[in-house]
Amino acid sequence: MKNFRVILQATLKSFIRDRLLQLLLVCALCIFLIVPALSLFSMRQVQELSVTLSLSAISIILLTLTVILGSSSVWRDLDRRYLASILGLPVSRTSYILGKFTGIVIFILLGCLLLGLVATAVIALVSAQYPSDVPLSWPQIWIAILSDGLKYVLVAAVAMLFSSLSTSFYFPFIATLVIYFCGSASQEVYEYITSDYGKTLSAVTRSAINSIYYCIPNFAAFDFKVHAVYALTLQLPGLLFAGTYFILYTSIILMIAVWAFNRRELA
Amino acid sequence: MSALSITGLSKTYRDKKLQKVNALVGLDLAVAHGEVFGFLGPNGAGKSTTIKSIMGLLKPTAGTIQVFGVTAKDPESRRRIGYLPENPSFFDFMTAREYLKFVGSTYGMELSAIRNESVRVLELLDLTQAADRPIRGYSKGMVQRLGLAQALVHDPDMYILDEPMSGLDPIGRALVKDIIRDLKQRGKTIFFSTHITADVEAVCDRVGVIAKGVLESVDTVDNILEKGVVGYAIRFCRAEGAEEEQLVSREELDATLRQLLESSAVIKTVEPKRKDMESFFLSVVLRS
Repeated sequence: MKNFRVILQATLKSFIRDRLLQLLLVCALCIFLIVPALSLFSMRQVQELSVTLSLSAISIILLTLTVILGSSSVWRDLDRRYLASILGLPVSRTSYILGKFTGIVIFILLGCLLLGLVATAVIALVSAQYPSDVPLSWPQIWIAILSDGLKYVLVAAVAMLFSSLSTSFYFPFIATLVIYFCGSASQEVYEYITSDYGKTLSAVTRSAINSIYYCIPNFAAFDFKVHAVYALTLQLPGLLFAGTYFILYTSIILMIAVWAFNRRELA
Repeated sequence: MSALSITGLSKTYRDKKLQKVNALVGLDLAVAHGEVFGFLGPNGAGKSTTIKSIMGLLKPTAGTIQVFGVTAKDPESRRRIGYLPENPSFFDFMTAREYLKFVGSTYGMELSAIRNESVRVLELLDLTQAADRPIRGYSKGMVQRLGLAQALVHDPDMYILDEPMSGLDPIGRALVKDIIRDLKQRGKTIFFSTHITADVEAVCDRVGVIAKGVLESVDTVDNILEKGVVGYAIRFCRAEGAEEEQLVSREELDATLRQLLESSAVIKTVEPKRKDMESFFLSVVLRS
């Protein structure tokens, strides 16, 4: 782990100099310029729509950023033959994976922070022009933004796991998106099969769905958008559950990624 | 203790049809401190597999590798090594100077030492002009020279160089040979792979020839060249003054020299005529 910091610094430097990421960031900022105009489509709930659109924009931009960074992290170094040079130095594979991952996490969280600030400005502007009956609750909005950031850190860990197993870009890219969409819907599916309708399903089907529900990450645990839009009170147990779930799940996935990468042949 | 010690190293792959491929079979080798060891072999013989195993990039199926007494499985074993990979590639978003700083940092060097050593190795490898340009704009030869620079920057005790002359023009090749000779004089251990026999003849103390994953021969360069002497060319002048040359076998040398001296000829030179390293290499590979 001695060279964790060196790998982290190199990873951040590569992101800062990446023209694709610079372009993505410019596009992201442009999206926020159209949020006030789009919010006007709702005649009565302009403020609520501006919050919804801003949080959704952050979510889409962070998803794009996360999937690109996470899926290409190891693959790019392998494809461009950087890995033989890096691991020929006294750098352990564990330091390499964790350094790369931490670089991605920092970039995602900084992106989240920057987009959150832009969103704050946009929401404040819209709510000043079109005041709503629903109070604007900044703590709720920022908790929704930051928990979204944590969700994408977890997605990045999933991408990193697939990236550390694969020699191609497509497998981690597609597999991460599949896990993301399944993980976003899993809570609804679980609630559906535990309702009366679920009793009509066979026991095998129910246990299969249950197994998948517990295996794939449950991204609904990080979704506080409704609380942010309607200024609903947040329950502490819900927040604690999301935080604990994030730490445990991310740690387990990273441990598997490190284990898999340490066993990998780099011919 | 040897600088590099390899015992019973084997590596078996499975190809796309899941057939076993023996890339290395029971390789035993020891490289002494301060020795320049050339690792010769045709393409696909197992040179790079051996080097990647030493560097921990591949996991051997069997056998052990120790670098200065530390197992190659431990990343710390690479602390005293300068490694040049085959067809190297480095973070192309960095400049050469930044990359050397990155490399120096992984070895725990002080920033001031990295700065000074970077200036020295960039100058040595003729990269000073390009030092602050992104690596993505470098030619193949420049990247190869940067590869040597990053192997040299922390002044390691041992160098593992995979095809160090690859992609270099004649000037670059001469430069690399000079660097290897200089390192040898400073008591550094060098293990380098190549399929260019002239390079081995020029700089190595010992040479190992690998073919089809088996180490077929290990001998000193002097021994190989000595064994390869097939005859001598004697240049001499007779009383009339015209210079002549006579080719004789090893067995005939003494008698011929005596005869010439008795006939009052003046012997100018006696040059051994021998099979070169290439002939030796080909004979070993064809025998395998």
